[in-house]
Amino acid sequence: MSATSASRSERWRSRLLPALLPALLPILILASWELASRFGWLSNRVLPEPWAVVKAFWVLALSGEMWQHVATSTWRALSGFALGGSLALALGLLTGSLRSAETLLDSTLQMLRNIPPLALIPLVILWFGIDESAKLFLVSLGVFFPIYINTFHGIRSVDKGLIEMARSYGLAGWPLYRHVILPGALPAILVGVRFSLGFMWVILIVAETISAQAGIGYMTMNAREFLQTDVVLVGILLYALLGKLADLLSKGLERWWLRWHPGYQSAAKAA
Amino acid sequence: MMSYELELENAALSGLAAPHAGPRFVAKAPAPSETPRPANGATIRTEGLSKSYGERAVLHDVNLQIAPGEFVAIVGRSGCGKSTLLRLIAGLERADAGAIHFDGGARAAHSDEIRLMFQDARLLPWKRVLDNVALGLDPKAGNVRERARDALAQVGLADRADDWPAVLSGGQRQRVALARALVHAPRLLLLDEPLGALDALTRIEMQRLIESLWQRHRFTALLVTHDVGEAVALADRVLLIESQQVALDQRIELARPRSHAQVGFARHEQRILDRVLSQSDADAAPREPGATHNVLATPALRWAI
Repeated sequence: MSATSASRSERWRSRLLPALLPALLPILILASWELASRFGWLSNRVLPEPWAVVKAFWVLALSGEMWQHVATSTWRALSGFALGGSLALALGLLTGSLRSAETLLDSTLQMLRNIPPLALIPLVILWFGIDESAKLFLVSLGVFFPIYINTFHGIRSVDKGLIEMARSYGLAGWPLYRHVILPGALPAILVGVRFSLGFMWVILIVAETISAQAGIGYMTMNAREFLQTDVVLVGILLYALLGKLADLLSKGLERWWLRWHPGYQSAAKAA
Repeated sequence: MMSYELELENAALSGLAAPHAGPRFVAKAPAPSETPRPANGATIRTEGLSKSYGERAVLHDVNLQIAPGEFVAIVGRSGCGKSTLLRLIAGLERADAGAIHFDGGARAAHSDEIRLMFQDARLLPWKRVLDNVALGLDPKAGNVRERARDALAQVGLADRADDWPAVLSGGQRQRVALARALVHAPRLLLLDEPLGALDALTRIEMQRLIESLWQRHRFTALLVTHDVGEAVALADRVLLIESQQVALDQRIELARPRSHAQVGFARHEQRILDRVLSQSDADAAPREPGATHNVLATPALRWAI
């Protein structure tokens, strides 16, 4: 355990290098982008240079305006996720557990699934107007189906042998659900959550262009009116960062809730 | 209670006559000359038990009597219905005809005193070993974790209480499953080929473990196995299921702990194996002790696995 150069290079190879490698490609892209803008190959109106974007980001952050927009957008996204997600979870649990519910509800839901939420925008404007409820509806709809389908599938694919064993040990009803069926369906449900978190941002971006008074989409649309392409890019950057944050969150959830799973254990050991 | 007495086909067992399937066979209760055990185990009596899957009859008119504290092994070819019989007794399946009586009473009253061990351990992967062992224990009854730890200690896995099942080996998982069954202090333990998936050495250790725990707790044990040697090593009685009936009830009166080198072990094992494989004893010439039986000579080779 001496601090020789050998152990230092070991640390470099085992810890730092894998952390830096994923960042290599974005850094290269940024560098070539910056160079292209500096040398005038890329017009400012097409794509501003990265440094201008950073400056715009800084100005907006300092003025507090950005945080307001971020808060509004995040609130919309999360409330839509909560609404659509909980409804999808409830319905998925219902149709997964009861054959009668599946017969009644599933085919209808499968038909609805194939309608892209964004294609409904004109109808949504007619029904909800252009205020918050329209955006909430769209996000909820987009979030609904991945969670529903994966919950349904998760419940159905719980190991029947485990259910039989648990029944023979006297588990039934709610204890059976809580100790066997729900944890067994959890990996699939979390996959659905991952998908939904991705859709959440996509739908929100478009929903915020309908018409808004606040939010990242509003900030971006405004900037477009004034040809502030750097602010437009800031908006896009914010969406990307928030999406990454949501993904990290869902990964963290998986890592915690599924730490019994052999697949996640080896990942944790390698990390 | 002792109203079921039919004659035993002793002639078939002595090897003098050709064994044949067919006659209705009722397993007899143990002879009174046996050393009495403290009655901790459940009594099982089945009458006229029948089960079919669709058109295929698996069991027909099975009549059994098992005394408290007995260790009974059920052997037979694959698909003969031995697992079905066990699952009927466990209550996992419903019989088409006939009845099962425990301790002379109705069935449902005893379902929490019956525990089942499956061929795979069936541990809940999302619970730690200790929580798996504690499955089904009533928290209101108090000190659940101590009882679970105690059961784990009996199978020698007290130090693995906080592990996830995924990191255990197959033998260790089966031991945890055994602890899980034992923590409820069952009066009847049903074992459905629990050692089939284990390697030979682990299997021997598990046999010894099961035997020692059975001797300690004195529950009634019903073991379904395809391994005749395992049946002879563990059981007081070996039943053979053939043609939807109990075709053989062989009492094994060897001293415990048994070993393959014991006098009489090989004889019992060979006799039962012959019966399972339906070796005809037309050649009644006495064989030298130790000569291996020529299994391949039989013209009708049927699969026993």
